[in-house]
Order: sequence, then C-alpha cells, then structure tokens
Amino acid sequence: MSLNVAQRRLLQEYRSLTNNPPEGITAGPISEDDLLHWECLIQGPEGTPFEGGVFPAELKFPNDYPHMPPSMKFLGDVFHPNVYPSGLVCISILHPPGDDPNHYETASERWSPIQSVEKILLSVMSMLAEPNDESPANVEAAKMWRERRSEYEARVKASVRASLGL
Amino acid sequence: MAEEEINLPSLVIVLLVTGLAVRYFFFSGGGNGASATNRQPGGGAALSPEELQRRRQREREAAVETIQQMFPQVDRRTILWDLQRHGGNLQATTERILAGRTETPPITFQPPPPPISPETTAAQQQQQQQQQQSASATKSTEKTHPDLITRYNLKDKLASTEAEPATAAPSKTGGWSSNREERQSLLQKRRDQMIIEARKKMEAKIAAEKAAAEAAASGGNN
Repeated sequence: MSLNVAQRRLLQEYRSLTNNPPEGITAGPISEDDLLHWECLIQGPEGTPFEGGVFPAELKFPNDYPHMPPSMKFLGDVFHPNVYPSGLVCISILHPPGDDPNHYETASERWSPIQSVEKILLSVMSMLAEPNDESPANVEAAKMWRERRSEYEARVKASVRASLGL
Repeated sequence: MAEEEINLPSLVIVLLVTGLAVRYFFFSGGGNGASATNRQPGGGAALSPEELQRRRQREREAAVETIQQMFPQVDRRTILWDLQRHGGNLQATTERILAGRTETPPITFQPPPPPISPETTAAQQQQQQQQQQSASATKSTEKTHPDLITRYNLKDKLASTEAEPATAAPSKTGGWSSNREERQSLLQKRRDQMIIEARKKMEAKIAAEKAAAEAAASGGNN
C-alpha cells in the first residue's frame, strides 16, 4: 500500500493524536480506507455555555494537504457566531495560506503546512470559548451574543443538553 | 375669406370627432363590451410607464413559464438573464438552451421573484402554502440533529455502564496499535467513552441542580 504525501502526513498526525491526545479531543479517520475524511469529538470548554457538551465534527482534507487546509463541519447543532448554520466552521486557521485580501487576518494566523489537526481542534475549542464577532458566519448568533448574552448562553446550554439526549 | 369660412366648421367637426373618439376610448366604463375589448390594443399609447412595465413583466413571466415547462432543469434566473440579454426572444432563448449555450447570470443579477398571478385560484394558493409548510416542516426536522446517544448507538452501552459502573472504569486507553482494526476499535471506544462520560456528568449536574432547587423551595417553605 503506497501512501501519498497527504495520507502519510495524516497517518502520522493520527498516530500522535492517539499517543498524546489533547485534553477533551478525540480525532481520527472514520475508516482508514479513507484517510482524508476524519471525524472528531470536541469537548465544550469549561466556564463557557458549551461546558459539558461533546461536539462531533467532520474534517475533510484536500488531496494537497498539508499545503491546503481541511474544512471542518460540526455534525450537531452549534449555535455560535463563527459557525455557519450548516455547521461549517469559519476560523482563520482553516483559511488558505497567504494574506487575507480583506486584511482581517495576517498570514501567520492562516493555514500553513506547519499547522496541524491538533492545532485546528485546539483553535476551535478556544473559538467556542471566545467568539470572534468581526466577521460572523452566523449573524443571528453573533447578534444575540453581542446584545443579549444571557439569552445566547441559555440557548447554547439547552442545545448542549439536548445533544446529550437529556 | 372664403377659405376661412369653409375651414372653421370643418375644424369644429374635427375637434368634435376627436373629442368623441377620446371619450369613447378612455372614459367609457366597462359597461360597453366593445370598448372593453378595444381598450387593450387601443389604449397602449395612454398607459402609464408603470403599467407598461407591469405588462412587460407579465409577458416575460409568461415566457419564463413556457420555457420552464420545456426545460424544468434550467433555473429561472438563467432563463430571465438570457431573455434580458437577448431582447426577450423566446425562440432564441429556447434554441440557446437546447444548444447548451446559456450563460450563467452574474451574482448581481437579481430578478424579481415570480409573482402570484391573479389566475391562480385561492385553492391553488392554499395548496402551495400547504406544500411550502410541509416542505419547511421536513426541512426543520432534517435540520435538527439526532442526539449523540442515538447518533453513536450508545443506548445499550449507557445502560450497561449504569448497571455496573465498576467495570466501566475508564481503562486508560491510548497507545498506538500496529493493528489497523485494533486502532479503529480503540478510537471508537475512546469516542464512546467521551460521550458516555459527558452524558453522565450532565445527568449528575441536572440532578444536583434539581436537588438544589428543591432544597431552596423547601427552605423557603419552612
């Protein structure tokens, strides 16, 4: 079985994530037949309305990974300013390398081959804790987060409980 | 002098006839059947720009509808764009669609939404509404995701770990197995464990909250 660069790299990342799993993160390919398609679980960070929740997400890697970033999509309800209603995550580390034409982000914040799945997942975790409402993906969530914080938190908490079947 | 004498009555007659004609065309009510049918072709010149615009739109809608009946796969925006680009010629647009030469409209092209034509009866509208409602209903059911327990089939595992919590003590999984299947099952196990733990913690939290609320309530009563 010959693996290409992307697959070799992903297998290596999978290995290190298995040996040294970061707190609150489980990630790996859905099946090793397709190393470009992962599923991961992210724990809601403590001290946030997402606390106690576990959020499944899928990662899809392009064939030219690690030159280009994967896309990440939450598979459950995540009501968050930086998550599209479809579940797609919008953070700078998932954006292709180079400077943002809109100058929102510097090149160092964006994807580059020295980043990794682990860094993405940790970034997403901290994004859950601290939304960036500069360029919201979910306008409704961003508005509620900015203007009616307690309502936002109640809504997130309710969805966390519902996602655990409670 | 004689010329003027002849001209004056004829002028009066001409004015009278024109006046009558104008009155006949524009100010006669719907009571006269002939005038009602005549109004459309005859009244064109007197239509206000908005009326004209509306009529053009109606014609365009009719064209779009005709084309959509022939090519249900082509979307409305594309048809409208093509019609607009090529002077609203239905036949030419049809040919371009057949030849596959339609262009994709630019994002900035935002055609007006399809109007609800007055011909559609109330019953039809109701039917449409019902369809829309059912569509949105299915959409909303699609959108709500199943909870994690259902998603990962953890009901049995949850029950078994509840029954005998001792055996479910989190065996420190980890380590990379050289066996592919083993790796897969280890990953799955870790995933399940994470969800079950979260669920239990949340259950405990909810129970604690409930107890606290009850205590507060009884405390208030005493």
